[in-house]
Amino acid sequence: MASLTGASLNFTSLSSSFRRTQLPLRGISNVKSVSFPSLRMQPGFRVSCMAKPETVDKVCEIVRKQLALPDGSSLTGESKFAELGADSLDTVEIVMGLEEEFGISVEEDSAQSISTVQDAADLIEMLKEKNNA
Amino acid sequence: MNIRCFPRKFSSALPPLVPLQLPSPMETHLWYILPNEVKSVALLNQYSELLSPCERENVNRMGGDQLKKRALLARALVRTTIARYQTNCQMNPRSLKFRKNIYGKPEIGIDVEGKQRKIKNDIIAFAQRYFSPCEVKLLTAISDSEIQRQEFIKLWTLKEAYVKALGKGFSAVPFKTFTIRFKASTIRCFHLPGNSVSEASEVIVESSDDPKNLPNNWQFALLEVAASHYVAICTEKDKIVGGEANRPMKLTVRKTIPFVEDVCVSGTDAVLVLGGIIEQ
Repeated sequence: MASLTGASLNFTSLSSSFRRTQLPLRGISNVKSVSFPSLRMQPGFRVSCMAKPETVDKVCEIVRKQLALPDGSSLTGESKFAELGADSLDTVEIVMGLEEEFGISVEEDSAQSISTVQDAADLIEMLKEKNNA
Repeated sequence: MNIRCFPRKFSSALPPLVPLQLPSPMETHLWYILPNEVKSVALLNQYSELLSPCERENVNRMGGDQLKKRALLARALVRTTIARYQTNCQMNPRSLKFRKNIYGKPEIGIDVEGKQRKIKNDIIAFAQRYFSPCEVKLLTAISDSEIQRQEFIKLWTLKEAYVKALGKGFSAVPFKTFTIRFKASTIRCFHLPGNSVSEASEVIVESSDDPKNLPNNWQFALLEVAASHYVAICTEKDKIVGGEANRPMKLTVRKTIPFVEDVCVSGTDAVLVLGGIIEQ
């Protein structure tokens, strides 16, 4: 199957830096990521609860399926979707898969802020807690 | 007179890129590369030399050789393409610096998807979640699942191209808030004799909040390129004072292997116009 690369600016990363600046204005999405082994500080940082291992595993499963990753390929919480070859359509499909699996609803601006497996898992835990509250 | 100056010493192994005139305003140039056509490891290494250390690092972080190659070619394509358009000075693609600017307004958006791309979710469920009611209706009406999948992908690329052209990001203009559709062209087109003008259906965008009132500033091209990919391009329309007439989108498409060959494919089988009023 032929693949084609077009000349265009990398809008995924462009909107990611735009997004991070926007986050403090968005209320519920204002979360700080805590991940081992060190605290990850980012501009407009995000706070979240640490996701359960089962949640991370489930996210990995959905990501594997969506991106058709070869068996045995390494996939961890730190894996970035873009580095696994996901484009914007893949990311939206993954989010939709997560919504169905976990019975949650992810807003567009939260969906845009997910770039790793861990981000997705943390967001899921937060939304699940919101649902239970 | 063209004065050629070399800000840096060229790598002696690479021939200079053929310089080009900048497109005039309201002209769009599309360049693409087919990764399968680039096999030489030596050439790939030379492309790698063009990248900044940061870009090289990003390429190396991609999982797997195919993804690394695609990422490398993408950056090499951007650098070499921009470097061509320096009219007075032969610019070394290596000396370009890129900065991310959150205030940058591109006024052009592009998206590319493989024709054969499989959608993992149910297409109608996906459309109901993300697309406008009008678009859901249109997709639901297609009974052939293969055609439905293709129309879905075309719509996705057009919507992505529009959001990118607006330059505000996916969350600022959620897909649900606008409809993109085809309509038979009823406008008069001016075109120069000898140039081919495709009059496939016009592609228009309507805001869900304000369907008829906003002037339509945007024009689209939907292409099938290299028989394998859908490409959607969205640009601002040329505003003609006083006239009702709309000019076609002037588009030139080139296939390239930087430093090896450039082929203008406009008007050939490699570029099929599926939507939009285009002059090639």
